[in-house]
Amino acid sequence: MQPDAAIRAEPAPATRALTCPSCGGGVELRAAGYTVHVACQYCGSILDVTDPQVKLVTAYHQAAAALEIPLGTRGVLRGVEWEVIGYLQRSENGAYGWDEYLLFNPYHGYRWLVYARGGWSLGEQLTVMPDWVAHDQLAVAGEIFTHFYADGVARVDYVLGEFFWRVAVGETVQTADWARPGAMLSREENAQEISWTRNEWLPSKEMQQAFGVQRDPLPWPPLPHQPSPWGDWLKTGVKIGLVAFAFLLLFAFQFGGTRWDAAGTFPIAADGREQSVTLGPITLRSRYQSVHLRAEVPRLENGWLDLDYSLVDRKTQQVYEAYGAAERYSGTDSDGAWTEGDRRTAVSIPSVPAGSYDLVVDYKGNRWSNAPSYLDSGAGWMDAANAPQVTVEVRQGAVYASNLWLALILIAAPLLFGLFRHLSFESARKGESDFAPSGSDGDDDE
Amino acid sequence: MSQHLPCPNCGADVVFRSPALPSRVCDYCRSLLVRSDSGVIKVGEAAALPFDVSPVQIGMRGRIDGKGFEVIGRVRWAWTDGAWNEWLLLFEDGGNAWLGEAMGQFMLLWERSLGQVRSPALRGIVKGQDAVIGTEVQLDHQKLVIADAREVVCVAAEGELPFTAPSGWKLYSVDLRGQHGECATLQRDRGETSVYQGRYVTLAELAPRGMRAIEGWTLPAYAA
Repeated sequence: MQPDAAIRAEPAPATRALTCPSCGGGVELRAAGYTVHVACQYCGSILDVTDPQVKLVTAYHQAAAALEIPLGTRGVLRGVEWEVIGYLQRSENGAYGWDEYLLFNPYHGYRWLVYARGGWSLGEQLTVMPDWVAHDQLAVAGEIFTHFYADGVARVDYVLGEFFWRVAVGETVQTADWARPGAMLSREENAQEISWTRNEWLPSKEMQQAFGVQRDPLPWPPLPHQPSPWGDWLKTGVKIGLVAFAFLLLFAFQFGGTRWDAAGTFPIAADGREQSVTLGPITLRSRYQSVHLRAEVPRLENGWLDLDYSLVDRKTQQVYEAYGAAERYSGTDSDGAWTEGDRRTAVSIPSVPAGSYDLVVDYKGNRWSNAPSYLDSGAGWMDAANAPQVTVEVRQGAVYASNLWLALILIAAPLLFGLFRHLSFESARKGESDFAPSGSDGDDDE
Repeated sequence: MSQHLPCPNCGADVVFRSPALPSRVCDYCRSLLVRSDSGVIKVGEAAALPFDVSPVQIGMRGRIDGKGFEVIGRVRWAWTDGAWNEWLLLFEDGGNAWLGEAMGQFMLLWERSLGQVRSPALRGIVKGQDAVIGTEVQLDHQKLVIADAREVVCVAAEGELPFTAPSGWKLYSVDLRGQHGECATLQRDRGETSVYQGRYVTLAELAPRGMRAIEGWTLPAYAA
């Protein structure tokens, strides 16, 4: 047996109809059971609807104001449908007026839609209280808010529709606000209670889609919790920039930095005469680049090899020169075996213009006459039986590094511009705070 | 454990599911019934529940803290500035708790033994003193603040209940709130006081099934 089957058979009605005792108009209660006071949508009279018998609290005979979002309007915000059931016009005792719409959904409770100085917010009353984390900061649900406004007063100037408490025009509460980009934490206090509301910033576009309100330009100076339009742009920009730069680096190393070419291996004569070889052609494509030259003499021992490089432009016969030497010594003394020097040598020629070049390498082997193992006359390491030879390699491409710098600047410039805009936005936003450092804004009374 | 008995007033079948819940309202004739060893007697008549758009209804099931429950009763209370519902949840292990529903927010509250309440402020209220709003109270390991104190009146009731709730029944009720959603309620009925302790919950947390359908509104995703 299902005693409650009758209740479940069909949906419960959503509204309760009543008649305004002041003007006789029909009023539809949209949050029956929760609503305490209704301001009649025809005459503005305030009615108490807690009992089945409707009581007139305050009689008014005024035409109801035309609201930007009429009572009864529904809209979907962040996946939940809401109905506008009440409207409050409030102000700081007459100054800086703002609008508050009360939203209702029987399955999600109440929310506030606040419209202040051209910006919309979605407010939810908290069931937890924030914790102090610093003298001017509060934390709630993992978010940190910084003190923004202090010692405010909010006065009710006009009401329409239904509310879950007793509304009265002229009623005031003490207010204080804490903010972070994207949300504001508001505290309201009267003699009976303290309540906390988290107001989330709603972009104008979202409000236009949800409730058909007209789109506003972004408020300036920014609202306390208005997110910087450059914030997201910067985050995305930095990500893209990093990826682009990483790609460029990879590209540069793949195709520039490690390319050794025009290599050749040449014998070194035993008699120590000067020898000459020509490598090329070497084609340099960039307008200017440095050319790196390295040589290795694997059999070098107790002697040195002089290398004179001449990079000759085939067209203009312009010559770019560099000198290098590889030397290596070894022996044994009281401390044991020792070695000194390097069988390899590397030099570079900076700023070589584009063109087709021949590389002329003049080289000459030398023997260290004091070499202990070669006290007797002989060719030493240069002995033909030792088959001494030199390997020469040419690399171009450090230019790519300057290209890389240029790319980095190109990537960074808009980011720096964005960062500048973001910081000036944040400074303008924080400048509106009661706690802004003095001198940063004209608002300061002192 | 369930006991089916005929209503002494209208003869309809009424069910008593737990010995801890000896009171109920007949679903058909709205008689206030009390069960005892000698049978079921009618002790009064419940007023009609005023219409509301609560998403909860008798028969709604859910799960919280790993335990399944069913909504089996409700008391509607009012005070000078409004009214709210207290839904009785019967858990699968036989225990029960209250789901308070006010201003679109929900509180889950378990009754706790008064003997364990040591706070001098609360003991004073039990003895008949008035609560002072803003007083800090230690209840077990929780720090709570007295947020509200007022006289409340029973509007109407339905379903099964641990006590008889006649319309017009007046209580002195004190609400306490903690920093992180903890809450408690103390209800004093002349000489007798009950203490309930718990926390704020959302309907989604209760994983509800069989929520009340309301015309023109889509059931939320969490109830699907």
